[in-house]
Amino acid sequence: MSIQVIDVSKRFGTFEALHHVSLDIEPGELVALLGPSGSGKTTLLRVIAGLEVPDSGSILFNAQDTTAKRVQDRNVGFVFQHYALFRHMTIFENVAFGLRVRPRALRPSNEAIREKVVKLLKLVQLEWLADRYPHQLSGGQRQRIALARARAIEPKVLLLDEPFGALDAKVRRELRRWLRRLHDEIHLTSVFVTHDQEEAFEVADRIVVVNRGRIEQVGAPGEVYDHPATPFVYQFLGNVNLFEGRISRGIAHVSGRRLAAPEHDGAVDALATAYVRPHDIDVSVQKSDSAVAATVDHAVALGSVVRLELTRHDTGDVVEAEIPRDRYDGLKIVHGQVVYLAPRRARFFLETAAPTSEAA
Amino acid sequence: MIFARRSHSVLPGFNVALGITLLYLSLIVLIPLSAALFKTFTLTWDAFVAHVTAPRVLASLRLSFGAALIAAAINAVFGLLVAWVLVRYPFPGRRVVDALVDLPFALPTAVAGIALTAIYAPNGWLGKPLLESFDLKVAFTPLGILVALTFIGLPFVVRTVQPVLEDLERELEEAAQSLGASHAQTFARVILPTLAPALLTGFALAFARAVGEYGSVIFIAGNMPMVSEIAPLMIITKLEQYDYAGATSVAVVMLAASFALLLAINLLQWWSRRYAESDA
Repeated sequence: MSIQVIDVSKRFGTFEALHHVSLDIEPGELVALLGPSGSGKTTLLRVIAGLEVPDSGSILFNAQDTTAKRVQDRNVGFVFQHYALFRHMTIFENVAFGLRVRPRALRPSNEAIREKVVKLLKLVQLEWLADRYPHQLSGGQRQRIALARARAIEPKVLLLDEPFGALDAKVRRELRRWLRRLHDEIHLTSVFVTHDQEEAFEVADRIVVVNRGRIEQVGAPGEVYDHPATPFVYQFLGNVNLFEGRISRGIAHVSGRRLAAPEHDGAVDALATAYVRPHDIDVSVQKSDSAVAATVDHAVALGSVVRLELTRHDTGDVVEAEIPRDRYDGLKIVHGQVVYLAPRRARFFLETAAPTSEAA
Repeated sequence: MIFARRSHSVLPGFNVALGITLLYLSLIVLIPLSAALFKTFTLTWDAFVAHVTAPRVLASLRLSFGAALIAAAINAVFGLLVAWVLVRYPFPGRRVVDALVDLPFALPTAVAGIALTAIYAPNGWLGKPLLESFDLKVAFTPLGILVALTFIGLPFVVRTVQPVLEDLERELEEAAQSLGASHAQTFARVILPTLAPALLTGFALAFARAVGEYGSVIFIAGNMPMVSEIAPLMIITKLEQYDYAGATSVAVVMLAASFALLLAINLLQWWSRRYAESDA
């Protein structure tokens, strides 16, 4: 089932959680809503679910307006960060809940319920826990049960609110691979909320970056990482260094070096900020006019790369650079040494430009 | 003993602490209760039976326990409602209402009794209209006793349910609704079972208080033999007639009945908590 979010706004008192948000989700897609806490991503998910009523705008399921429908009637599976399992019911009864509360005419027989629950418990590989109570399960197991419970009502959409947020790193990794596999088997339209970019990149078909109640960018994981639409997306997805520079007719001048900036063809002598990833910085021991001097504060070896923390001499800013282990060994860099930095690749955002938040 | 071998406790000297605990409980609880028992034993079995099966005594016991149970049940329902409103809805003056709940608990019982009697008496503010329009007599009838017992029992339910309700995650309700449960189903199948242990505790406390209540009841009860005479008053009456053994035999019956009821409630509570987390 496709989901359309059309011009949705939502306020909580004076706090604007969503500001005219529009979003299309294709049938069978697995979409991640990615953003920092308080960005409105959970509110967006809850509006889609019907747990929050938007102040304006509408939600369409399969091109049908469902904005006024109650959550009970939307047929969505919702998975909560803290599982929200019913602790006075056994695992079996938890999964069966959605079937047992159906109106008498639509309620399956006890036998059919039993069959279905067992099938779902097998799907999440926990059928041996049917008679336990939620508190006897680990976090990862509880979340799998929560997923089975949501699936029991055969939802047309699966919505997950930070589903792995309360789990430890190892279980989280296992579970998100498992979720991805499950999605590849069944292709149920799914939306999940996360603040963890790694999680979003690993699991989702498409990523929606949300910030301050607005959608910053929508795109495939690689696309979002390689071509961030806004400074926010650039900074949110990984570490970044900022260099001041000027742009004139598609050529940027950054700390004495000329870099191509074709996206800013029209700008004439405009002030711009260069966003440079740590691995896009050249580190050299030779003094040069086209590089800035910096002192090495720290060097941390991370597997095949070495992360350098440096202080720029001209501005006093801290710069983070990553260079291959071989190059680091070849340069024989020591603590406190002065080296010369130059950005190899950068993405420029003009100082005066308004945030291009609606760009998709 | 297993407990004695437990590694470093915060409280030093486990044996001493246990000894003091037992001594204290014996002095405060056990000895007075057994004194009542021993006094009763001065009677022969037949005399004891004759005392407690006297129609007037039986009527008073029936009234005391019956009214206490009904009052506790009323409080369980409306106490839950009050707690729900106090926890879930922010409204102006909530703190005042919250403080008001404790009033029946803090008020001297005689004050409550006089106040209730004044209001529900046939010429009182509420008693008069009730009598005139519904022909309903409240003060000086068993109904008046019920009113008084309900009044003093309310805080027990509210104060035991309130903290549990505050901890109740809204996500549980949202989860139930996203699975298609109506509001009524969500309440009956998710909220009520979760609150059941606390509600039972509140019920038990309100009941225990109501059975033993004396001060607020005797004014409004009218104390007519066979009709509106409560068991504690029976005990007083017998004491005033220097019938100590008779008084304690009524006391022993009350003791046994209270104990049996509280035991039953505790068992029910234990059952409703069977899923409780071990670390909670």
